[in-house]
Amino acid sequence: MHAIARGMRHGFDILDATGLQSGTVYPILRRLEDAGLLRSRWEAVERARAEGRPPRRYYELTGAGAMALQEALARHPEVLDAFAAPGSVPQPRPA
Amino acid sequence: MTRPDAPVPESADEAAAAAPGVALVRWLSWLVPSTRRAEWTAEWEGELCHAWRQRQRTADDTTFARAALAFRALGALRDALWLRRHHGAHDMLDLDLKYAVRGLRRRPGFTAVVVLTLALGIGATTAIFSVVNGVLLRPLPFPEPDRLVYLRGHPIDGDVAKVGTAQSYLDYLDIRARARSFSSLAAVRGGTQTLTLPGSEPALVSEAVATSNLFPTLGVAPALGRGFVPDDERPGSPAVAVLSDALWRDRFGGDLAVLGRSIRLDGEPVTVVGVLPPAFGYRRSAQLWRPLVPTRIDMERGTHQYAVIGRLAAGVSLEQAASEARAIARGLELQYPADNAKRGARLEPMRDVLVQDARPALLVLFGAVALVLLIGCANLASLFLARAAAREREVAVRAALGAGRGRLLRQFLTESLLLTLIGGAAGLGVAWGGMRALLALAPRTIPRADEVALDLPVLAFLLGASVLTGIAFGVLPALQLRRGAASVASLKDGARGATAGVARRRLRHGLVVGEVALATVLVVGAALLLKSFWLTQRVDPGFAPDGLLVAQLELPSTRYDAPAKVVRFYDRLRGELEGVRGVQSVAVAYEHPLGEGWTSSFTIEGRDRPPVGLEPEARVRPVQPGYFKTVGVPLLRGRDVTERDRAGGAGAVLINEAFARVHFPNEDPIGRRIDRGTWFEGMPASYEIVGIVADEPFLGLGRAADPALYFPHPQFPMSAMWIIVRSASADPRALAEAVRERVWRLDPELPLDEAKTMREVLGSSVAEPRFNAALLSLFAGAALLLAAVGTYGVLSYTVLQRTSEIGVRMALGAPRGRVLRLVVGEGVGVAMLGVALGTATAFAFARVLSSLLQGVDERDPVVFGGVAGLLTLVVVAAAYLPARRASRIEPVVALRYE
Repeated sequence: MHAIARGMRHGFDILDATGLQSGTVYPILRRLEDAGLLRSRWEAVERARAEGRPPRRYYELTGAGAMALQEALARHPEVLDAFAAPGSVPQPRPA
Repeated sequence: MTRPDAPVPESADEAAAAAPGVALVRWLSWLVPSTRRAEWTAEWEGELCHAWRQRQRTADDTTFARAALAFRALGALRDALWLRRHHGAHDMLDLDLKYAVRGLRRRPGFTAVVVLTLALGIGATTAIFSVVNGVLLRPLPFPEPDRLVYLRGHPIDGDVAKVGTAQSYLDYLDIRARARSFSSLAAVRGGTQTLTLPGSEPALVSEAVATSNLFPTLGVAPALGRGFVPDDERPGSPAVAVLSDALWRDRFGGDLAVLGRSIRLDGEPVTVVGVLPPAFGYRRSAQLWRPLVPTRIDMERGTHQYAVIGRLAAGVSLEQAASEARAIARGLELQYPADNAKRGARLEPMRDVLVQDARPALLVLFGAVALVLLIGCANLASLFLARAAAREREVAVRAALGAGRGRLLRQFLTESLLLTLIGGAAGLGVAWGGMRALLALAPRTIPRADEVALDLPVLAFLLGASVLTGIAFGVLPALQLRRGAASVASLKDGARGATAGVARRRLRHGLVVGEVALATVLVVGAALLLKSFWLTQRVDPGFAPDGLLVAQLELPSTRYDAPAKVVRFYDRLRGELEGVRGVQSVAVAYEHPLGEGWTSSFTIEGRDRPPVGLEPEARVRPVQPGYFKTVGVPLLRGRDVTERDRAGGAGAVLINEAFARVHFPNEDPIGRRIDRGTWFEGMPASYEIVGIVADEPFLGLGRAADPALYFPHPQFPMSAMWIIVRSASADPRALAEAVRERVWRLDPELPLDEAKTMREVLGSSVAEPRFNAALLSLFAGAALLLAAVGTYGVLSYTVLQRTSEIGVRMALGAPRGRVLRLVVGEGVGVAMLGVALGTATAFAFARVLSSLLQGVDERDPVVFGGVAGLLTLVVVAAAYLPARRASRIEPVVALRYE
């Protein structure tokens, strides 16, 4: 969630940011979406077409998700440190 | 959440197809619940394509990048499984399965009966199929086996006694030189040799003598050493041999140093140059192979002793090659009219020739076991129908709550398929055990038995049989249910009488009729085989087999190179054996009474000479004095062979009854003369008929004998002879050791196969019919039992359904006897129809069995009548139990019965 909050909104970007396996990340995304903490949207078709590829799905935090994230970060501040390490976070990409 | 509503651009589709991992994702998408599938696939494709584009843009189009992306795509499996687990709760297949499993666990008795029936049915069918597959269907273990053919002799006028399938060496050479349709043609014949190894008894080994191109023709190379080279065929070149794997292991302990070793065959040194691979699948009985070095007898065009096998040249069809072979045979017939008259040629695929004897019996057994499976299916369908009726209300409720017809059909199919798959899995064990038992019990005559295995085709068959079975007995009740479920009427209907009930009862009756009919077919088949077997056992063998011991001897031509030496040896041996304590009499003969032997042509003097190639044929059976007395074949007229019938004396011959019947129907044959040319130098060419003996069963017990000629051995001195000893005591086996000892006293280098009692020879001659009859009887018994259980089940259920009706009848004064008759009558009606149908079917298909029957007409009225009676009796007996139950119903209880 923190990765998403920082702008890593596509599945594979989250993999890159967290270093986790796809088989771990995707079920987490499904679970968070089911819990109402995330919602997903599809990127604009024109944009995908311009790049000659199918559209991607992106995730964003809901209000409840943002609150849950704040609570979690308060309890586990070390997560912030992990992301603060230089070079470990790719530049956020607009949707 | 929104989904992409605009169509995906074409170029995007191409991009998706190119990106690594997309194919995997698309394949995995079938695991995802259908409601989420499209969206899920789009998400994964989107990510993979985007990542691939990025990699391409950075020119990172390496194998490593591809692998990394494919690895990432592997995570889709976990994702898909997660979705399936958490969002697939409403997935229909899961639901159906869960429901089916729950239903089956709730009725363990029902499940056990069904699974057991299926395991036995599918398992037994698969076991037989494994043999059918290994023997009849599987390709021969050679490269391009379909191009291997036999080129066989073929009588143009259909007279198989005149023109056999074997070829002469000279014909083989001519055909090989002229034919263009074959990439190679090889000739091979069987034989025996005496193998003498230091420190062990001399042993008779079977050999195959082949042209040097045989192994290349088959496409097989020796596992050790070399095969034959053309030089090995040249007369005078050093004698060489190739060992079979079995002989190499048994006699040489699998010693790698065997190559180059000299062994003695018939007393002559022969160098071992190769060992064949263990899986060599041609003439497996041959223990060693020698190159064909033509002998004097090979130079006679009239001596046919070779099988010719060929490999079709590339692009040549069987038909093209066959027509060329026919043309060449025609040319040879014109060129050599004396030896090749009426001699045509025909090509047969090698596999067909190798398995032709086993085919009819195997197919009959396979058909029989498939019928048993079908009867089992009918029983299960009946069981399922009963269960479906019991669940009618439940189904009606589900239909009323919105379950569609398709849904219900699928639910029931899932249940039956689940059951059959469990049954099939259990059947695998039965199949394995059954296959092993079959191979252990089957007569040795089954060819290719060592190639039988539970391999992929057999497992595919098992799976196919399971699925088909599941559909077979799952669909019928399901279709019935559809009808029942369609109307909410059945909700109101209650337990008493409904149109669906009547239709179902009719269907169940139909199933029982089918079962009884199929069982009738099987029982008729088994009864025919049993009767045939019983008759051959009871038939008078025509000689006295008890107390006889037989053993075959073959004198090596190297040391016994003159007829006089052969005759002297056997004369002396006979004298030696007659002196053994416990021996009542001794015979020496070219064949024992059950040995088929061979035929040769002859002419009757004083009659018009038939055209060349059309002379009559008779079995040639040289004997020493005392043969007929020892084996117990009565001399009908004239005199026996005596010591006075010597090599230089006047030719004498005895004939059998068949000979007299065929060639002298209205004349006295005694005193007439037979001319059969000079076979052995210095022997008479003309023989006077001096006696007539009764027919021997040399073509098999119960089969009519051919004409046969019994020459005195000194006038027809064959070197391979049988020693037949009649024991004074009941157990002739006790003499075996003494016989061996006396043979070796005369010649310590002679091989002697284990002596057998005549009863053993008799037993192995009927091993095959006994095996077929036993197996078919087993299947018929199972069919009978299943049909009885089926009838019992259906009538029990009818009684249960009609309990109230029967109660009303009895309350109104119907006597118990009438109720009993009512139910039994229903059973008898069903039985009659089934038996009639079955008898008609069996009658129509009786010809299938004809090749397996002996002495019994395939439409034997006694068998057909007896089986019809038996089946009726069984069905009535099966109907009696439920009928008795019905007649004991208490009206008061019955009327309350719901």
